[in-house]
Amino acid sequence: MLASNKEYLTIALPKGKLFSLSAELLKKIGYTAEGLSDKSRKLVISNEEKKIRFIITKTADVPTYVEYGAADLGVIGKDVLVESGKDVYELLDLGFGKCHVMMAVPRKEKRERLTDYAQTRVATKFPHIAEQFFTRHGMQMEYIKLNGSIELGPIVGLSESIVDIVETGTTLKENDLEEIAYIMDATARLIANRVSFKLKFERINTLVEELKKVMAAGEAGK
Amino acid sequence: MEQKKILEIPYGTRDFLPTEAAEKRVIETKLARLFSGWGYDEVVTPTIEYLETLDRGSSHNLEPHLYKLVSKDNRMMALRHEMTTPIARLMGSRLQGRALPLRCSYISSVFRYEQSQTGRQCEFYQAGVELMGSGSAAADAEVITLAVRSLLSAGLTEFKLCLGQVEFLSGVMEQYQLAESECEALKEAMEKHNLVLFEQLVDGLNVNDAAKKALKYLPLLNGGPEMLARAREMALNARSRRALDNLTEIYHLLETYQVADYVQFDLGIIRDFSYYTGMVFEAYAPELGFPVCGGGRYDNLLADFGNPCPATGFALGIERVLLALKRRGGGLPETPKDVYVGYGQGNLEQAVAKALELRQAGKVVELAAAPGTESEAEGAQEAGGYKELLFLP
Repeated sequence: MLASNKEYLTIALPKGKLFSLSAELLKKIGYTAEGLSDKSRKLVISNEEKKIRFIITKTADVPTYVEYGAADLGVIGKDVLVESGKDVYELLDLGFGKCHVMMAVPRKEKRERLTDYAQTRVATKFPHIAEQFFTRHGMQMEYIKLNGSIELGPIVGLSESIVDIVETGTTLKENDLEEIAYIMDATARLIANRVSFKLKFERINTLVEELKKVMAAGEAGK
Repeated sequence: MEQKKILEIPYGTRDFLPTEAAEKRVIETKLARLFSGWGYDEVVTPTIEYLETLDRGSSHNLEPHLYKLVSKDNRMMALRHEMTTPIARLMGSRLQGRALPLRCSYISSVFRYEQSQTGRQCEFYQAGVELMGSGSAAADAEVITLAVRSLLSAGLTEFKLCLGQVEFLSGVMEQYQLAESECEALKEAMEKHNLVLFEQLVDGLNVNDAAKKALKYLPLLNGGPEMLARAREMALNARSRRALDNLTEIYHLLETYQVADYVQFDLGIIRDFSYYTGMVFEAYAPELGFPVCGGGRYDNLLADFGNPCPATGFALGIERVLLALKRRGGGLPETPKDVYVGYGQGNLEQAVAKALELRQAGKVVELAAAPGTESEAEGAQEAGGYKELLFLP
């Protein structure tokens, strides 16, 4: 699988929020390709001159492409990475896409302690992260996996609480939910396949060093 | 129409159909010949062991990955998850007292609950060797050479073997006087390949900036012999210097063995099993997203089984090698089939005699199960992939 791409560095980018930020950052160090856009119909976009290939995938699939070696590198949110449980190198915190994973409940039915929610139902896109969190607090829960609009869960009586990511908190407020427990911070990460990181070490390490430099320059310019 | 129910097989297991099984057998035969050519004697141990045996001296966090069952007298048992521990048990029992060093090899299935994926099944086949009773760099070089030779004889050519030394890391951490819990946390971050967490942990340590810079460099110490020189600038205490001396000595021998071209250094390498005490390595093929083989020195494990002596060894994943060969294309060996013998009514005895004669001459021969016509025999010859047809009308 990696063999056919031996000369190329294949980078998996997620559609959606992280795409343009990732593409922009990589462009700063010269890693880009003509027509690179998540609106593109083409799913593989190459830069023949620089021997780089971008693949554009659904967010949750980025760790899978990288773990199997179909992509050497990928950009993915820490939340999705932890949830996937994939065995990949986590090389760099890219700093953008900042959000956090938390537990929220309907404001009007807020209970006194976290453990008062033991044995209740929790709606989430992140059942693994949620389970690790509740297990740490000695709580057994019923996990209801949803794929979007998690806030709907408590409103329609599907669950007593939610575990989800929050950026600004506006959506929570609009749905009359209140954050009661912080679980983890998440930002975009640069990940690498285990074997690619060894066999293409020089190239990947150079890329990481260059990214660190432009990120530091960006910080200083703020 | 009623659909016939197809019986499933358990999660993470697989069948090997005729061609697949033949390919696997060809690789195994080559490896068995290679191992015995280097003086390694094959051992076979039970598929099931008592849980306490597998648990002893083995890695933290092993239990969730074991297939467990209960014996008739209610003792906990488990399917072997690798072969090093069962062989260590043998060394502490029936092989105790044998002249050392002792060289053992194995080709067998092992079982681990994993998130199953191609080339990473829950039941999988391993081939490997253990060289017990020698702590020398020569023993390590022999094992590494045999790992390279194994991959070559299986037909892989483009792999890289990354070689590290666990004492180097320990030495560097000791030099900065890190607490045991800090060392554990750093090693765990490296084992989980989480370099972001590793840097965060280093930033949180109570050491000076130069030390932080040096520590952050650890997972990136990857390259050829020139990299050892760079590492030497970091290795300020005796322990880490000894580790580098050991690697230098091993590498020198690998040059003598003419396998050094396949080897590079990776001082940040940490293997899954915690019993390693010296050199460790993993080999990677460009066709696969995970290692094809790995091994290292484990000088304390045998003491846990009552026979303290140094040891070193490696194991390779047979399915992973097969997968790498398949992905590379054209590498898999074919098994030749020579003659299909068909016969007309009343000619069975003559056909049996003919088939016997051909088989004694070393040909691969299939004899028709029943009399038939010549065109039926031709059809069977083609379907079976036989080069020739012998028909006795």
